[in-house]
Amino acid sequence: MNFIALKMLIGDRAKYLGIIFGLAFASLLITQQMAIFLGLMTRTYGFLTDTPQPDIWVVDPKVQYIDDLKPLRETDVLRVRGVEGVAWAVRLYKGLLKARLPNGTFQNCIVVGLDDETLIGGPPVILEGELSNLRHNDAIIVDNVGADGKLANVTPDGRRIPLRIGDTMELNDHRAIVAGICRVTRTFQSQPVVYTTYSRATVFAPRERKLMSFVLVKANPGYDLSELCQRIRKTTGLAAYTKDEIKTITVRYYMKYTGIPVNFGITVILGFIVGVAIAGQTFYNFTQDNIRYFGTLKAMGASDFMLLKMVLLQAAMVGGIGYGMGVGAASTFSFLSGRTELSFCMPWQLLVASAVAIALICIISSFLSMWRIVKLEPAIVFKT
Amino acid sequence: MIRKYLPPVLAVFGIGFAIWTVIAGNKEIPPLPPVVDPSAPPYKSFVAGSGIVETNTENISIGTCISGVVSEVYVSVGTKIKTGDSLFKLDDRDLKAQLEVRQSALRESEAEVKVSRATLADLKDQLVRAKILAGKRVISDDELERRRYAVEVAEAKLIKARTEVVSAMAYVNETKVNLERAIVRSPVDGEVLQVKIHTGEYALAGITETPLMLIGNAEPLNVRVDVDENDAWRLRAGAPAVAFLRGNREIQTPLKFVRFEPFIVPKKSLTGDSVERVDTRVLQVIYSIERKDLQVFAGQQMDVYIDAAD
Amino acid sequence: MIEMNNIAVRCEGVTKTYGSGSTEVHALRGIDLEVRKGELMMLVGPSGSGKTTLISIIAGVLDRDGGECEVFGSDFNEMNSRERALYRSQNVGFVFQLFNLIPALTAAENAAAPLMIRGLKRREALDRACEVLDRVGLGDRTRSLPSELSGGQLQRVVIARAIVHNPRLIVCDEPTSALDHETGHKVMELLHNVAIGIDRVLIVVTHDARIFEFASRIASMDDGHIMQVVNSHHDLEQKKEN
Repeated sequence: MNFIALKMLIGDRAKYLGIIFGLAFASLLITQQMAIFLGLMTRTYGFLTDTPQPDIWVVDPKVQYIDDLKPLRETDVLRVRGVEGVAWAVRLYKGLLKARLPNGTFQNCIVVGLDDETLIGGPPVILEGELSNLRHNDAIIVDNVGADGKLANVTPDGRRIPLRIGDTMELNDHRAIVAGICRVTRTFQSQPVVYTTYSRATVFAPRERKLMSFVLVKANPGYDLSELCQRIRKTTGLAAYTKDEIKTITVRYYMKYTGIPVNFGITVILGFIVGVAIAGQTFYNFTQDNIRYFGTLKAMGASDFMLLKMVLLQAAMVGGIGYGMGVGAASTFSFLSGRTELSFCMPWQLLVASAVAIALICIISSFLSMWRIVKLEPAIVFKT
Repeated sequence: MIRKYLPPVLAVFGIGFAIWTVIAGNKEIPPLPPVVDPSAPPYKSFVAGSGIVETNTENISIGTCISGVVSEVYVSVGTKIKTGDSLFKLDDRDLKAQLEVRQSALRESEAEVKVSRATLADLKDQLVRAKILAGKRVISDDELERRRYAVEVAEAKLIKARTEVVSAMAYVNETKVNLERAIVRSPVDGEVLQVKIHTGEYALAGITETPLMLIGNAEPLNVRVDVDENDAWRLRAGAPAVAFLRGNREIQTPLKFVRFEPFIVPKKSLTGDSVERVDTRVLQVIYSIERKDLQVFAGQQMDVYIDAAD
Repeated sequence: MIEMNNIAVRCEGVTKTYGSGSTEVHALRGIDLEVRKGELMMLVGPSGSGKTTLISIIAGVLDRDGGECEVFGSDFNEMNSRERALYRSQNVGFVFQLFNLIPALTAAENAAAPLMIRGLKRREALDRACEVLDRVGLGDRTRSLPSELSGGQLQRVVIARAIVHNPRLIVCDEPTSALDHETGHKVMELLHNVAIGIDRVLIVVTHDARIFEFASRIASMDDGHIMQVVNSHHDLEQKKEN
């Protein structure tokens, strides 16, 4: 019977391809939009992705997301160090400082100040130079996108000279020498990222009473991270989050206070509705066209169960093919746009989610058809 | 046949490519190892502090009581010194000249005394003779009286001349003391840590921004540990502690408790800026470094962990 | 037993009404009919006389409203829909006026459908279907799609499909009305030759008088009643009466 069902389906080429393309389109739309959405969301915590060494981030209790900088007192790093279960705790400065380019224009940069001693929190990939070059006088490390783009020196005739090791730039009226080029995850606002040491960052930074943005904490092995967070909170009165927690609150902040999720949600729902409309209608038409043959099979003794199985198999077939083509197209899209400003993020959960969406579309689409078949009187076969 | 199988084959490729994308996209970039491992405390429960190495006498900023141009520096950085050893000398030529002037003034007043004494003796002699002559009525009473008054005047002059000698001697002594003060001497046994004054420079009396010279006793060295005031309650007097040299967690030394600084002070963040900013208030605890072979310098920062067994 | 009585299908006072109220149509107004084993019973009559309704009820694809109807001793009204479907899959073969062949399937696959419904493996079902197609003279067209076959060939495929699972009852609805006279005659000859058996009945609805010669008996219907049942001169009938 499965064989008959599939042959019937493929036999009606126009509708077969119609349903598949409907579903593939829906699948492409849903997958691609969700991937871009997730990509954007992961960018909101790109800085966290780039700083994987610490288990726990200690911040001011009022901090709502990772870029919400509310500096701590210098001695807080000492207090955190004193909490039981903390293997090490280092300070980190993060701030937005103005860089003056040789051609006179200004560019806001994200400046990250690493603990002078350990340089923990450095960029994930150093393309040129070494992290320890930061020990040099006035040294900074610049991310490659910024170095080639926004921080590049544009000559009067329009040529763009990328920033290279040994070049100097001006950060908030202080001289800085490029000592390395690194690669970082693209940030949400796409500003250039500049790494330097903590004490140098405090020199660059405008005069404020408190400067330390984060305390990065590594837990001793064997300590439960959430318990340790609780203990840090209790002992110091500061907020402590595990890496996943701070990612979650960052994403939640953007979800709650920006229109991004609504926008993408609408597109995804639209994709879903288009999928249901195109695929469902065509599929129902297909069943309707073949109702005489379903009736014949029913008269010849096929049970409702068998016929429903046939319909479900047909739905599963077009669903599977449509889904495959859709996610394949979405992946191709992501592959082709890998080097552009577009952000794609495809975790396996996304594949599952779009599979569920397509399955839902198929179930909704085939539901009408199944209803039609259950209600079908086999006696219609004798009608002309 | 190809047309029949094209959609499923495309679908299989699509899913395969999607899975590949997922796997390729989820590769986490391994973090760069830290350049230096952060120090790890040996205690289960502890208070962390940042320490700065200093001498056990604390670092003494040498000042001078008189301002003047430096004419000679007797020590260099690292010189071991004893109490009373000369450190540097201010220009004292003016004082030496003054001394000569005042010494000659002294001699002059001493000569004056001799003159006065001789005059007095002469007048006394004349008075004796005048008394005899007056008894013989050779001279008038009036003349005798004059002689008597002249003796009294000469006596007073002698006293004055003697007082002037004392005063001139005091002037000479003042100059001698000033000459002594032009040489700055060490108040303690120890070592010269920093010399910021050189021959020919003008040393100002009073508190200067950079001390003229830093001295202190570097054996043993002490660590002044800043502990956040919020953690102060956790500290016990005499608690053991460990200090790590920044930059290499392998280099560490046990510390011996010396004392608490009883006064909580505002902590200065070490920004290197000309104006330091007050950040928070800290309790300072003084520990002495136990390890003698540790190569550590006064002014160096250390990470300190103080045992706080609750 | 009924088997002993040699009766395959027995209807007594069967009634069927479509719709209700003013649109009520009395399709059957009390049918009494007996069909014996080995017979080819033809139902004739004008359009709307209830022929198709009657064979629908006998084939078990339509519920009757009243009366009794037994097919090989079984009453469809006593079965649920699943049992009825199972019964049909084992015992009933269908020949339709418009063939009702699935256009996407080859002749062999169409003919094998009843076997697949009964749960046979595809390979086995196709082998059996090819054998039967061979018997109806289409051994060389087993891989043809319905669109590639002529009307006569299509009806042969339908006949093969009706007999492939060896049913005891075969119902045929106007088997020749879509065919020209000559082809229709050949199809009836074929049906007569391959389908009639000792333990089997054929019920053929037709108003094609030219094929009456193939019938064992002919029941003529009008307005929901059996008007008369006449014996044909068919030799099989005589043979069986011996």
